[in-house]
Amino acid sequence: MNAVVRNLRVLRRMTAAEIAQQSVYRGAWLIFMLANICVPIISLLIWRTAIANGAQLPIDERYVTTYFVLLGFVTMATSSWMAGFLANDIRLGKLSTWMVRPASLLVGFVANNLSEKFLKLFALVPMIGIVWWIFRDSMNIPASLGRWVLFAFSIVLGAILVFTIDILIAALAFWMDDVSALVQARVIIAGVLSGSVVPLALMPEWSQGFVDHQPFRYTVSFPVEIVAGELSGGDLVAGLGIQFGYVVAAGVLARLVWAAGIRAYSAVGA
Amino acid sequence: MSYVEVRQPLDRSWWHRQWRHVRLWRRFLAQAVVRETQYRAHFLTTLLVGLVQLGLGIVPTLLLFGFTQEVHGWSRAEVITLVGVFQIVTGLMAAFVAPNLNRMTAYLTEGELDGVLLRPVSSQFYLTLRWINVAELSNVASGIVVLVLGLVQSGISPTIGQVVQAVVLVVCGLVLLTCVWSAMSCLAFWLQSVGPIGAVYLGLVEAGRYPLAFFPVAVRTFLTFAFPVAFATTFPVRALAGDLGWSPVALGAGLSVVAVMLIRLLWRRGLRTYASASS
Repeated sequence: MNAVVRNLRVLRRMTAAEIAQQSVYRGAWLIFMLANICVPIISLLIWRTAIANGAQLPIDERYVTTYFVLLGFVTMATSSWMAGFLANDIRLGKLSTWMVRPASLLVGFVANNLSEKFLKLFALVPMIGIVWWIFRDSMNIPASLGRWVLFAFSIVLGAILVFTIDILIAALAFWMDDVSALVQARVIIAGVLSGSVVPLALMPEWSQGFVDHQPFRYTVSFPVEIVAGELSGGDLVAGLGIQFGYVVAAGVLARLVWAAGIRAYSAVGA
Repeated sequence: MSYVEVRQPLDRSWWHRQWRHVRLWRRFLAQAVVRETQYRAHFLTTLLVGLVQLGLGIVPTLLLFGFTQEVHGWSRAEVITLVGVFQIVTGLMAAFVAPNLNRMTAYLTEGELDGVLLRPVSSQFYLTLRWINVAELSNVASGIVVLVLGLVQSGISPTIGQVVQAVVLVVCGLVLLTCVWSAMSCLAFWLQSVGPIGAVYLGLVEAGRYPLAFFPVAVRTFLTFAFPVAFATTFPVRALAGDLGWSPVALGAGLSVVAVMLIRLLWRRGLRTYASASS
């Protein structure tokens, strides 16, 4: 228990320090978030045109609108960009200096993740608000507070899942020289399978069984579906259960791979 | 004996200046090709990533036309043709323009621009076209394949005149997109860091994947005049299909000339605010 408390204290300090550092680049965050909502808005306009033009989609206009308006927010909130950096720290030996410290190198990455997201929120939320206001007549807004609580909870689980997947990929740097191709592959595959390009509900019939149960759905699509879609109570419980299961499984796997990696690690520059 | 060859002073007439820049650009290209042969793995990964991205980029279009036969007069085959043109345009931009504009912040904040200003070359030309990523041309090749497939499927057989129209429009589109991206990057003179500007450009250019008719009217105006990606993808495909006269071509050429003049002006204004970072 002591270790957890200590790590949390370190995390809090590091996050505060990161926020102070990163807020220097607040202009850059604003521009970044502008880029972040471009593609969802383009997709939104395209699919709305298709529906207005008489395309027979399995989902209605309200679902599509709510989905794409919230998509930019959820992809940001659950994103992780550290795989390349962590792999570099392993490969170039920066890990060595952290191994003699009373906190894990990973705590630094968690702090970086939290602080950047905190700052991005200030840029992104007003933008999403404007888009929401423009499309307010065709948004699905659940009345019950419970849905929003589950939405927030599911985003947190999704963020942990993405972060853990990144640890798994980066940890391969213990054995491989260059993981950048894998990082790129993850980005491309996750783009489609997480639902950030097209809502997963629009995927072909034959792929639904796979699409609904693969882990990437629970990194972006599932939290959005909680608000946008008509998930029944049963679907919700099952979905959250699967999401939680993936988080635990990925966490255990990452723990094992990381421990094995540390044992295989031969320090550079030590 | 002197090893220094006697050289004529630079001919400063307008025509010679242009010609010198063309010769210089040919050197850049030759150097980039030689450089690329040293990094064959880079070429292969660029090719593979480009192919996967092309495939995934078509996914929304294919899914969309799984639910409907046509959208605002565009059939699936025509939109695939458009995706081919989009791939060609983004490939050309990634090969010739992106490697330069992505460095704009470094040029300005690390003082590299100082070295450029001392050379007998237009600094704007140098900063916009110096570096070439030859591997990206593989995406142009795959784009041509998709374009031809789309044309065959949709049964369009353009005449020579229509092909000329399309090519002129694509060139106009490239010039316009370069100008817009350049203008966005020029903000670096005032903001110091514009690293993420490239991300905004890449986000907006995604709209070129779809025909202009797929967007609401206000957005169409934006995509024609403010962020003129329409000239790079939608108009060329409509020209190939033969339902576009010469007037949009003239409009594109006119806009390109205006845009180039504006960006020259903006560059000169920016250069005046530049206080060297290295000395």
